[in-house]
Amino acid sequence: MSTLSVIARREVRLALRNRGVLITAFIFAIWFPVMTALGIAAAAGGDAAAVAGGIAAITLPVGVFMGYIFCSDAFLREKRDGTIETLLCAPVSLQRLWEGKALGVVVPAYLTTLLAAAVSMGAASALADAPIAAEPLLLLHLAAVVPVWIAAAAGLIGAAQLALGMRENQILGFAFIFGFIFLIGGIQAVVSGGSGISATAEAVLAVVGLALLALARFIAGKVTKERIVRTIP
Amino acid sequence: MNAVEVRGLSRSFDDRDILRDVSFTVGHGEIFGYLGPNGAGKTTTIRILLGLLAPGAGNVRVLGRDLAADDDARARVGVLFENNGLSDRMSAADNLAYYAGLYGVEDPAARIDELLALVGLADRRDDPVGTFSTGMKRKLGIARAILHRPEVVFLDEPSSGLDPGAQRMVRDLIVELSRREEMTVFLNSHHLDEVQRICSTVAILAEGRIRAFDSVENLTAASGRPAVTVALTDPGDRARACETVGSLPFVAGCDADDDALRCTLADPAAIPDLVAALVGAGFRIEEVRRSSRSLEEIYLEHVGRVEGGA
Repeated sequence: MSTLSVIARREVRLALRNRGVLITAFIFAIWFPVMTALGIAAAAGGDAAAVAGGIAAITLPVGVFMGYIFCSDAFLREKRDGTIETLLCAPVSLQRLWEGKALGVVVPAYLTTLLAAAVSMGAASALADAPIAAEPLLLLHLAAVVPVWIAAAAGLIGAAQLALGMRENQILGFAFIFGFIFLIGGIQAVVSGGSGISATAEAVLAVVGLALLALARFIAGKVTKERIVRTIP
Repeated sequence: MNAVEVRGLSRSFDDRDILRDVSFTVGHGEIFGYLGPNGAGKTTTIRILLGLLAPGAGNVRVLGRDLAADDDARARVGVLFENNGLSDRMSAADNLAYYAGLYGVEDPAARIDELLALVGLADRRDDPVGTFSTGMKRKLGIARAILHRPEVVFLDEPSSGLDPGAQRMVRDLIVELSRREEMTVFLNSHHLDEVQRICSTVAILAEGRIRAFDSVENLTAASGRPAVTVALTDPGDRARACETVGSLPFVAGCDADDDALRCTLADPAAIPDLVAALVGAGFRIEEVRRSSRSLEEIYLEHVGRVEGGA
Protein backbone atom coordinates (compact mmCIF):
# COMPACT_ATOMS: atom_id res chain seq x y z
CA MET A 1 0.00 0.00 0.00
CA SER A 2 1.40 3.42 -0.92
CA THR A 3 2.16 5.97 1.79
CA LEU A 4 -0.45 8.26 0.22
CA SER A 5 -3.09 5.60 0.74
CA VAL A 6 -1.83 4.83 4.28
CA ILE A 7 -2.12 8.50 5.30
CA ALA A 8 -5.48 9.07 3.58
CA ARG A 9 -7.05 5.91 5.05
CA ARG A 10 -5.98 6.92 8.53
CA GLU A 11 -7.52 10.39 8.16
CA VAL A 12 -10.79 8.89 6.93
CA ARG A 13 -10.87 6.46 9.86
CA LEU A 14 -10.13 9.25 12.34
CA ALA A 15 -12.86 11.42 10.80
CA LEU A 16 -15.35 8.56 11.15
CA ARG A 17 -14.43 8.27 14.84
CA ASN A 18 -14.78 11.97 15.59
CA ARG A 19 -18.39 12.31 16.75
CA GLY A 20 -18.21 16.09 17.11
CA VAL A 21 -17.07 16.61 13.52
CA LEU A 22 -19.51 14.02 12.16
CA ILE A 23 -22.50 15.51 13.98
CA THR A 24 -21.59 19.01 12.73
CA ALA A 25 -21.18 17.68 9.18
CA PHE A 26 -24.46 15.75 9.21
CA ILE A 27 -26.45 18.62 10.72
CA PHE A 28 -25.06 20.95 8.06
CA ALA A 29 -25.61 18.35 5.31
CA ILE A 30 -29.29 18.05 6.25
CA TRP A 31 -30.33 21.39 7.74
CA PHE A 32 -28.78 23.70 5.14
CA PRO A 33 -30.18 21.85 2.06
CA VAL A 34 -33.66 21.60 3.58
CA MET A 35 -33.66 25.34 4.27
CA THR A 36 -32.39 26.25 0.80
CA ALA A 37 -34.73 23.74 -0.91
CA LEU A 38 -37.62 26.02 0.03
CA GLY A 39 -36.09 28.82 -2.01
CA ILE A 40 -35.04 26.51 -4.84
CA ALA A 41 -38.53 25.00 -5.19
CA ALA A 42 -40.24 28.39 -4.99
CA ALA A 43 -37.93 30.01 -7.56
CA ALA A 44 -37.84 27.05 -9.95
CA GLY A 45 -41.55 26.38 -9.96
CA GLY A 46 -41.09 22.80 -11.15
CA ASP A 47 -38.50 23.61 -13.79
CA ALA A 48 -35.96 20.77 -13.53
CA ALA A 49 -33.11 22.82 -15.01
CA ALA A 50 -33.72 25.64 -12.56
CA VAL A 51 -33.82 23.16 -9.65
CA ALA A 52 -30.56 21.63 -10.87
CA GLY A 53 -29.06 25.12 -11.04
CA GLY A 54 -30.16 25.85 -7.50
CA ILE A 55 -28.70 22.59 -6.21
CA ALA A 56 -25.47 23.14 -8.13
CA ALA A 57 -25.25 26.60 -6.58
CA ILE A 58 -25.44 25.31 -3.02
CA THR A 59 -23.34 22.14 -3.29
CA LEU A 60 -20.05 23.98 -3.86
CA PRO A 61 -20.28 26.16 -0.72
CA VAL A 62 -21.46 23.10 1.22
CA GLY A 63 -18.48 21.11 -0.11
CA VAL A 64 -16.04 23.87 0.83
CA PHE A 65 -17.52 24.08 4.31
CA MET A 66 -17.30 20.29 4.71
CA GLY A 67 -13.68 20.48 3.62
CA TYR A 68 -13.05 23.09 6.31
CA ILE A 69 -14.74 20.98 9.00
CA PHE A 70 -12.74 17.85 8.19
CA CYS A 71 -9.51 19.85 7.74
CA SER A 72 -9.71 21.00 11.32
CA ASP A 73 -9.50 17.36 12.36
CA ALA A 74 -6.82 16.24 9.92
CA PHE A 75 -4.43 19.19 9.97
CA LEU A 76 -5.13 21.50 12.89
CA ARG A 77 -5.72 18.82 15.53
CA GLU A 78 -2.52 17.05 14.59
CA LYS A 79 -0.65 20.31 15.00
CA ARG A 80 -2.37 21.26 18.25
CA ASP A 81 -1.59 17.80 19.70
CA GLY A 82 2.01 17.99 18.50
CA THR A 83 1.76 14.60 16.77
CA ILE A 84 2.60 16.30 13.47
CA GLU A 85 6.21 16.56 14.70
CA THR A 86 6.48 12.77 14.88
CA LEU A 87 4.92 12.42 11.43
CA LEU A 88 7.43 14.87 9.98
CA CYS A 89 10.21 12.52 11.10
CA ALA A 90 8.78 9.62 9.07
CA PRO A 91 10.37 8.72 5.73
CA VAL A 92 7.65 10.59 3.87
CA SER A 93 8.04 13.94 2.14
CA LEU A 94 6.06 16.88 3.45
CA GLN A 95 4.34 17.14 0.06
CA ARG A 96 3.18 13.53 0.28
CA LEU A 97 1.98 14.03 3.84
CA TRP A 98 -0.08 17.05 2.74
CA GLU A 99 -1.49 15.12 -0.23
CA GLY A 100 -2.47 12.15 1.93
CA LYS A 101 -4.15 14.31 4.52
CA ALA A 102 -5.97 16.38 1.90
CA LEU A 103 -7.20 13.18 0.24
CA GLY A 104 -8.33 11.92 3.64
CA VAL A 105 -10.33 15.13 4.03
CA VAL A 106 -11.84 15.03 0.53
CA VAL A 107 -13.41 11.57 0.94
CA PRO A 108 -15.70 12.29 3.95
CA ALA A 109 -16.28 15.89 2.81
CA TYR A 110 -17.39 14.68 -0.63
CA LEU A 111 -19.66 11.96 0.77
CA THR A 112 -21.40 14.39 3.13
CA THR A 113 -21.74 16.90 0.27
CA LEU A 114 -23.42 14.22 -1.86
CA LEU A 115 -25.74 13.59 1.07
CA ALA A 116 -26.52 17.31 1.15
CA ALA A 117 -27.23 17.27 -2.60
CA ALA A 118 -29.54 14.27 -2.20
CA VAL A 119 -31.36 15.94 0.68
CA SER A 120 -31.74 19.14 -1.40
CA MET A 121 -33.16 17.25 -4.33
CA GLY A 122 -35.52 15.22 -2.13
CA ALA A 123 -36.74 18.31 -0.28
CA ALA A 124 -37.16 20.31 -3.51
CA SER A 125 -39.12 17.40 -5.07
CA ALA A 126 -41.37 17.19 -2.05
CA LEU A 127 -41.97 20.93 -2.01
CA ALA A 128 -42.57 21.07 -5.78
CA ASP A 129 -45.06 18.22 -5.29
CA ALA A 130 -43.46 16.29 -8.15
CA PRO A 131 -40.29 14.18 -8.45
CA ILE A 132 -37.46 16.16 -10.00
CA ALA A 133 -35.11 14.14 -12.19
CA ALA A 134 -31.42 14.89 -11.97
CA GLU A 135 -30.08 16.85 -14.93
CA PRO A 136 -27.02 15.34 -16.68
CA LEU A 137 -25.13 18.58 -16.06
CA LEU A 138 -25.94 18.37 -12.37
CA LEU A 139 -24.59 14.82 -12.28
CA LEU A 140 -21.42 16.04 -14.00
CA HIS A 141 -21.25 18.91 -11.52
CA LEU A 142 -21.51 16.50 -8.58
CA ALA A 143 -19.11 13.93 -10.07
CA ALA A 144 -16.35 16.26 -11.27
CA VAL A 145 -16.63 19.91 -10.24
CA VAL A 146 -17.58 19.39 -6.59
CA PRO A 147 -14.67 17.03 -5.71
CA VAL A 148 -12.19 19.36 -7.44
CA TRP A 149 -13.39 22.31 -5.36
CA ILE A 150 -13.41 20.29 -2.16
CA ALA A 151 -9.85 19.16 -2.91
CA ALA A 152 -8.80 22.76 -3.62
CA ALA A 153 -10.41 23.99 -0.40
CA ALA A 154 -8.96 21.12 1.68
CA GLY A 155 -5.53 21.64 0.12
CA LEU A 156 -5.44 25.39 0.65
CA ILE A 157 -6.93 25.34 4.13
CA GLY A 158 -4.71 22.39 5.11
CA ALA A 159 -1.56 24.10 3.86
CA ALA A 160 -2.53 27.27 5.73
CA GLN A 161 -3.24 25.31 8.90
CA LEU A 162 0.18 23.67 8.67
CA ALA A 163 1.98 26.95 8.05
CA LEU A 164 0.16 29.33 10.38
CA GLY A 165 -0.03 29.57 14.16
CA MET A 166 -3.19 28.71 16.10
CA ARG A 167 -4.34 32.31 16.46
CA GLU A 168 -3.83 33.13 12.78
CA ASN A 169 -5.72 29.96 11.87
CA GLN A 170 -8.66 30.96 14.05
CA ILE A 171 -8.78 34.37 12.41
CA LEU A 172 -8.23 33.21 8.85
CA GLY A 173 -10.36 30.03 8.96
CA PHE A 174 -13.64 31.73 8.22
CA ALA A 175 -11.95 34.20 5.88
CA PHE A 176 -11.03 31.19 3.72
CA ILE A 177 -14.60 29.89 3.69
CA PHE A 178 -16.15 33.24 2.87
CA GLY A 179 -13.47 33.86 0.26
CA PHE A 180 -14.39 30.59 -1.44
CA ILE A 181 -18.12 31.26 -1.20
CA PHE A 182 -17.79 34.76 -2.69
CA LEU A 183 -15.59 33.37 -5.46
CA ILE A 184 -18.11 30.62 -6.29
CA GLY A 185 -21.04 33.02 -6.15
CA GLY A 186 -19.18 35.53 -8.31
CA ILE A 187 -18.34 32.96 -10.98
CA GLN A 188 -21.90 31.63 -11.05
CA ALA A 189 -23.34 35.14 -11.27
CA VAL A 190 -20.99 36.29 -14.03
CA VAL A 191 -21.09 33.13 -16.18
CA SER A 192 -24.67 31.92 -15.84
CA GLY A 193 -26.45 35.02 -14.62
CA GLY A 194 -27.04 33.43 -11.24
CA SER A 195 -29.73 30.97 -12.32
CA GLY A 196 -29.89 27.57 -13.99
CA ILE A 197 -26.95 25.34 -14.78
CA SER A 198 -24.94 25.63 -17.97
CA ALA A 199 -22.08 23.80 -19.57
CA THR A 200 -20.13 27.06 -19.73
CA ALA A 201 -20.54 27.72 -16.04
CA GLU A 202 -19.50 24.15 -15.20
CA ALA A 203 -16.45 24.41 -17.47
CA VAL A 204 -15.38 27.71 -15.89
CA LEU A 205 -15.93 26.34 -12.38
CA ALA A 206 -13.92 23.22 -13.22
CA VAL A 207 -11.03 25.27 -14.64
CA VAL A 208 -10.99 27.67 -11.67
CA GLY A 209 -11.22 24.71 -9.27
CA LEU A 210 -8.24 23.03 -10.93
CA ALA A 211 -6.30 26.30 -10.84
CA LEU A 212 -7.01 26.61 -7.12
CA LEU A 213 -5.92 23.02 -6.62
CA ALA A 214 -2.66 23.78 -8.43
CA LEU A 215 -2.26 26.89 -6.27
CA ALA A 216 -2.85 24.79 -3.14
CA ARG A 217 -0.19 22.34 -4.27
CA PHE A 218 2.23 25.18 -4.98
CA ILE A 219 1.64 26.77 -1.57
CA ALA A 220 1.96 23.40 0.20
CA GLY A 221 5.29 22.94 -1.56
CA LYS A 222 6.51 26.19 -0.01
CA VAL A 223 5.63 25.19 3.56
CA THR A 224 8.70 23.99 5.45
CA LYS A 225 9.04 21.61 8.35
CA GLU A 226 10.67 24.41 10.31
CA ARG A 227 7.64 26.63 9.73
CA ILE A 228 5.32 23.87 10.98
CA VAL A 229 7.42 23.00 14.02
CA ARG A 230 7.83 26.64 15.05
CA THR A 231 4.07 27.24 14.95
CA ILE A 232 3.16 24.23 17.09
CA PRO A 233 1.53 25.70 20.21
CA MET B 1 31.65 6.57 11.36
CA ASN B 2 29.70 7.63 14.44
CA ALA B 3 25.95 7.17 14.77
CA VAL B 4 25.49 10.87 15.52
CA GLU B 5 27.89 13.71 14.74
CA VAL B 6 27.40 17.35 15.69
CA ARG B 7 30.09 19.81 14.61
CA GLY B 8 30.14 23.50 15.52
CA LEU B 9 26.35 23.67 15.69
CA SER B 10 24.83 27.08 16.38
CA ARG B 11 21.25 28.25 16.15
CA SER B 12 19.41 31.34 17.26
CA PHE B 13 15.72 32.32 17.35
CA ASP B 14 14.70 35.97 17.18
CA ASP B 15 18.28 37.14 17.86
CA ARG B 16 18.52 34.88 20.91
CA ASP B 17 21.34 32.35 20.77
CA ILE B 18 19.97 28.90 21.63
CA LEU B 19 22.97 26.78 20.59
CA ARG B 20 26.54 28.06 20.40
CA ASP B 21 29.24 26.03 18.74
CA VAL B 22 27.96 22.69 20.02
CA SER B 23 30.05 19.63 19.11
CA PHE B 24 29.81 16.02 20.21
CA THR B 25 29.60 12.54 18.78
CA VAL B 26 27.67 9.42 19.72
CA GLY B 27 29.12 6.01 18.88
CA HIS B 28 27.12 3.09 17.55
CA GLY B 29 25.28 1.10 20.21
CA GLU B 30 25.80 3.72 22.91
CA ILE B 31 23.09 5.00 25.22
CA PHE B 32 23.90 8.70 25.18
CA GLY B 33 22.50 11.10 27.77
CA TYR B 34 21.93 14.70 26.72
CA LEU B 35 21.44 16.77 29.85
CA GLY B 36 20.62 20.36 30.53
CA PRO B 37 18.11 22.64 32.24
CA ASN B 38 14.89 23.79 30.60
CA GLY B 39 15.61 26.09 27.69
CA ALA B 40 19.21 24.91 27.38
CA GLY B 41 18.65 23.87 23.75
CA LYS B 42 18.29 20.09 24.08
CA THR B 43 15.09 19.75 22.09
CA THR B 44 16.38 22.24 19.51
CA THR B 45 19.43 20.00 19.04
CA ILE B 46 17.23 16.94 18.52
CA ARG B 47 15.00 18.83 16.07
CA ILE B 48 18.03 19.92 14.06
CA LEU B 49 19.41 16.37 14.06
CA LEU B 50 16.04 15.09 12.81
CA GLY B 51 15.88 17.70 10.05
CA LEU B 52 12.91 19.54 11.53
CA LEU B 53 14.91 22.74 12.04
CA ALA B 54 17.81 24.04 9.98
CA PRO B 55 21.16 24.64 11.68
CA GLY B 56 22.28 28.28 11.83
CA ALA B 57 25.91 27.24 11.53
CA GLY B 58 27.85 23.99 11.65
CA ASN B 59 26.62 20.64 10.49
CA VAL B 60 24.95 17.52 11.83
CA ARG B 61 24.88 13.95 10.61
CA VAL B 62 22.91 10.93 11.75
CA LEU B 63 24.31 7.64 10.41
CA GLY B 64 26.43 9.83 8.12
CA ARG B 65 23.36 11.40 6.49
CA ASP B 66 21.52 14.70 6.62
CA LEU B 67 18.01 13.72 7.68
CA ALA B 68 16.55 17.01 6.45
CA ALA B 69 17.39 16.13 2.86
CA ASP B 70 17.18 12.36 2.94
CA ASP B 71 13.72 10.77 3.27
CA ASP B 72 15.12 7.24 3.07
CA ALA B 73 17.64 7.83 5.86
CA ARG B 74 14.79 8.78 8.18
CA ALA B 75 13.55 5.19 7.90
CA ARG B 76 16.66 4.17 9.88
CA VAL B 77 15.88 6.53 12.75
CA GLY B 78 13.18 6.43 15.43
CA VAL B 79 11.92 9.24 17.60
CA LEU B 80 9.80 9.72 20.70
CA PHE B 81 8.75 13.23 21.55
CA GLU B 82 6.89 14.15 24.70
CA ASN B 83 3.47 13.68 23.03
CA ASN B 84 4.21 10.08 21.93
CA GLY B 85 2.94 10.67 18.38
CA LEU B 86 -0.22 8.64 18.99
CA SER B 87 -3.86 9.26 18.17
CA ASP B 88 -6.15 8.90 21.18
CA ARG B 89 -9.05 7.83 18.97
CA MET B 90 -7.25 4.86 17.47
CA SER B 91 -6.44 1.57 19.19
CA ALA B 92 -2.89 0.67 20.21
CA ALA B 93 -2.62 -1.81 17.34
CA ASP B 94 -4.07 0.64 14.78
CA ASN B 95 -1.63 3.35 15.86
CA LEU B 96 1.29 0.98 15.36
CA ALA B 97 -0.16 -0.30 12.08
CA TYR B 98 -0.29 3.27 10.75
CA TYR B 99 3.39 3.86 11.45
CA ALA B 100 4.23 0.39 10.14
CA GLY B 101 2.64 1.48 6.85
CA LEU B 102 4.58 4.76 6.78
CA TYR B 103 7.89 3.02 7.47
CA GLY B 104 7.23 0.01 5.26
CA VAL B 105 7.64 -2.53 8.07
CA GLU B 106 7.70 -6.11 6.81
CA ASP B 107 5.15 -8.47 8.37
CA PRO B 108 3.66 -5.65 10.45
CA ALA B 109 1.13 -7.85 12.29
CA ALA B 110 3.86 -10.04 13.79
CA ARG B 111 6.03 -7.04 14.69
CA ILE B 112 3.09 -5.26 16.34
CA ASP B 113 2.22 -8.36 18.38
CA GLU B 114 5.88 -8.73 19.40
CA LEU B 115 6.19 -5.12 20.57
CA LEU B 116 2.84 -5.00 22.35
CA ALA B 117 3.89 -8.09 24.27
CA LEU B 118 7.30 -6.55 25.01
CA VAL B 119 5.81 -3.38 26.50
CA GLY B 120 3.09 -5.29 28.34
CA LEU B 121 0.13 -3.98 26.35
CA ALA B 122 -0.87 -7.14 24.46
CA ASP B 123 -4.18 -7.35 26.32
CA ARG B 124 -4.99 -3.71 25.45
CA ARG B 125 -4.15 -3.92 21.74
CA ASP B 126 -7.69 -3.08 20.58
CA ASP B 127 -8.46 -0.40 23.19
CA PRO B 128 -8.43 3.27 22.18
CA VAL B 129 -5.21 4.96 23.30
CA GLY B 130 -7.32 7.71 24.86
CA THR B 131 -8.25 5.23 27.62
CA PHE B 132 -4.58 4.57 28.50
CA SER B 133 -2.67 5.98 31.49
CA THR B 134 0.31 8.30 30.86
CA GLY B 135 2.71 5.44 31.53
CA MET B 136 0.93 3.11 29.12
CA LYS B 137 0.95 5.78 26.42
CA ARG B 138 4.66 6.30 26.96
CA LYS B 139 5.34 2.57 26.65
CA LEU B 140 3.29 2.43 23.47
CA GLY B 141 5.16 5.52 22.25
CA ILE B 142 8.46 3.71 22.76
CA ALA B 143 7.09 0.68 20.89
CA ARG B 144 6.06 3.02 18.07
CA ALA B 145 9.50 4.64 18.00
CA ILE B 146 11.29 1.31 17.54
CA LEU B 147 8.63 -0.40 15.42
CA HIS B 148 10.74 -0.25 12.26
CA ARG B 149 13.92 -1.44 14.01
CA PRO B 150 15.78 1.88 13.77
CA GLU B 151 19.54 2.01 14.13
CA VAL B 152 19.31 5.21 16.16
CA VAL B 153 16.42 6.26 18.37
CA PHE B 154 15.92 9.72 19.86
CA LEU B 155 13.99 9.80 23.13
CA ASP B 156 12.98 13.26 24.32
CA GLU B 157 12.23 13.16 28.05
CA PRO B 158 10.84 9.60 28.01
CA SER B 159 10.21 9.61 31.78
CA SER B 160 8.61 13.03 31.94
CA GLY B 161 5.33 13.06 33.86
CA LEU B 162 5.62 9.46 34.99
CA ASP B 163 5.41 8.16 38.55
CA PRO B 164 8.55 6.47 39.95
CA GLY B 165 7.28 2.98 39.13
CA ALA B 166 6.55 3.90 35.54
CA GLN B 167 9.90 5.70 35.28
CA ARG B 168 11.68 2.55 36.29
CA MET B 169 9.63 0.53 33.81
CA VAL B 170 10.57 2.90 31.00
CA ARG B 171 14.23 2.88 32.06
CA ASP B 172 14.35 -0.92 32.07
CA LEU B 173 12.60 -0.95 28.73
CA ILE B 174 15.19 1.36 27.16
CA VAL B 175 18.05 -0.80 28.39
CA GLU B 176 16.31 -3.98 27.26
CA LEU B 177 15.56 -2.56 23.83
CA SER B 178 19.05 -1.19 23.39
CA ARG B 179 20.45 -4.61 24.14
CA ARG B 180 17.90 -6.61 22.16
CA GLU B 181 17.64 -4.40 19.11
CA GLU B 182 21.27 -3.19 19.21
CA MET B 183 20.19 0.43 18.84
CA THR B 184 22.01 3.65 19.53
CA VAL B 185 19.88 5.59 22.02
CA PHE B 186 19.99 9.39 22.23
CA LEU B 187 18.32 10.16 25.53
CA ASN B 188 17.28 13.70 26.30
CA SER B 189 16.46 13.74 29.99
CA HIS B 190 16.14 15.72 33.20
CA HIS B 191 16.38 12.58 35.30
CA LEU B 192 20.02 12.50 36.31
CA ASP B 193 19.67 9.30 38.26
CA GLU B 194 18.14 7.65 35.22
CA VAL B 195 20.93 8.89 32.97
CA GLN B 196 23.63 7.77 35.40
CA ARG B 197 22.11 4.31 35.57
CA ILE B 198 21.65 3.61 31.89
CA CYS B 199 23.85 5.93 29.82
CA SER B 200 27.39 5.16 28.76
CA THR B 201 28.22 8.71 27.62
CA VAL B 202 26.87 12.07 28.65
CA ALA B 203 26.94 15.65 27.39
CA ILE B 204 25.84 18.51 29.63
CA LEU B 205 24.38 21.51 27.84
CA ALA B 206 23.85 24.86 29.55
CA GLU B 207 23.04 28.18 27.94
CA GLY B 208 23.56 26.66 24.53
CA ARG B 209 27.09 25.41 25.14
CA ILE B 210 28.43 21.95 25.90
CA ARG B 211 29.86 22.14 29.45
CA ALA B 212 30.94 18.52 29.77
CA PHE B 213 31.13 15.60 27.38
CA ASP B 214 32.59 12.28 28.46
CA SER B 215 31.74 8.77 29.56
CA VAL B 216 29.72 8.60 32.76
CA GLU B 217 32.57 6.61 34.31
CA ASN B 218 35.14 9.29 33.56
CA LEU B 219 32.90 12.16 34.58
CA THR B 220 31.99 10.68 37.94
CA ALA B 221 35.53 9.52 38.69
CA ALA B 222 37.34 12.66 37.59
CA SER B 223 36.53 14.92 40.47
CA GLY B 224 39.82 16.78 40.32
CA ARG B 225 40.70 15.58 43.80
CA PRO B 226 40.06 12.05 45.06
CA ALA B 227 37.58 11.67 47.87
CA VAL B 228 37.31 9.04 50.57
CA THR B 229 34.42 8.13 52.82
CA VAL B 230 35.39 6.80 56.28
CA ALA B 231 32.81 5.19 58.55
CA LEU B 232 33.80 5.05 62.22
CA THR B 233 32.68 2.39 64.69
CA ASP B 234 31.58 5.11 67.12
CA PRO B 235 29.62 7.78 65.21
CA GLY B 236 30.09 10.19 68.12
CA ASP B 237 33.79 10.47 67.20
CA ARG B 238 33.10 12.05 63.79
CA ALA B 239 33.54 15.72 64.72
CA ARG B 240 36.79 15.08 66.61
CA ALA B 241 38.09 12.82 63.84
CA CYS B 242 37.32 15.51 61.31
CA GLU B 243 39.40 17.99 63.28
CA THR B 244 42.25 15.48 63.44
CA VAL B 245 42.41 14.71 59.73
CA GLY B 246 41.71 18.31 58.78
CA SER B 247 45.14 19.28 60.06
CA LEU B 248 46.97 16.68 57.97
CA PRO B 249 48.94 18.16 55.03
CA PHE B 250 47.58 15.71 52.42
CA VAL B 251 43.91 16.35 53.34
CA ALA B 252 42.30 19.18 51.43
CA GLY B 253 39.02 19.09 53.32
CA CYS B 254 36.82 17.04 55.62
CA ASP B 255 33.09 17.03 56.37
CA ALA B 256 31.35 15.06 59.06
CA ASP B 257 28.14 13.85 57.45
CA ASP B 258 25.27 12.03 59.13
CA ASP B 259 26.93 8.65 58.92
CA ALA B 260 30.61 9.10 57.96
CA LEU B 261 33.55 11.39 57.33
CA ARG B 262 33.98 12.62 53.79
CA CYS B 263 37.59 13.59 53.16
CA THR B 264 38.99 15.20 50.03
CA LEU B 265 42.64 14.36 49.52
CA ALA B 266 45.31 16.56 48.00
CA ASP B 267 47.27 13.43 47.11
CA PRO B 268 45.43 10.39 45.67
CA ALA B 269 48.09 8.05 47.12
CA ALA B 270 47.50 9.25 50.67
CA ILE B 271 44.60 6.96 51.61
CA PRO B 272 46.82 4.58 53.66
CA ASP B 273 48.33 7.61 55.43
CA LEU B 274 44.84 8.89 56.26
CA VAL B 275 43.84 5.52 57.71
CA ALA B 276 47.10 5.29 59.67
CA ALA B 277 46.57 8.79 61.09
CA LEU B 278 43.03 7.98 62.25
CA VAL B 279 44.06 4.64 63.79
CA GLY B 280 47.08 6.34 65.40
CA ALA B 281 44.78 8.91 66.99
CA GLY B 282 42.72 6.10 68.55
CA PHE B 283 39.71 6.03 66.22
CA ARG B 284 38.23 2.68 65.28
CA ILE B 285 37.42 2.38 61.60
CA GLU B 286 34.51 0.32 60.29
CA GLU B 287 34.80 1.01 56.57
CA VAL B 288 36.89 3.04 54.11
CA ARG B 289 35.79 3.52 50.51
CA ARG B 290 36.86 5.67 47.63
CA SER B 291 33.99 8.02 46.75
CA SER B 292 32.93 9.03 43.30
CA ARG B 293 30.75 12.01 42.65
CA SER B 294 27.24 11.54 41.45
CA LEU B 295 26.20 12.77 38.07
CA GLU B 296 23.87 15.16 39.87
CA GLU B 297 26.83 16.84 41.59
CA ILE B 298 28.66 17.16 38.29
CA TYR B 299 25.55 18.47 36.56
CA LEU B 300 24.89 21.05 39.26
CA GLU B 301 28.53 22.09 39.20
CA HIS B 302 28.34 22.84 35.46
CA VAL B 303 24.81 24.18 35.31
CA GLY B 304 25.07 25.99 38.64
CA ARG B 305 28.25 27.68 37.49
CA VAL B 306 26.40 29.03 34.49
CA GLU B 307 23.27 29.99 36.40
CA GLY B 308 25.36 31.60 39.11
CA GLY B 309 26.96 33.75 36.45
CA ALA B 310 30.46 32.41 37.12
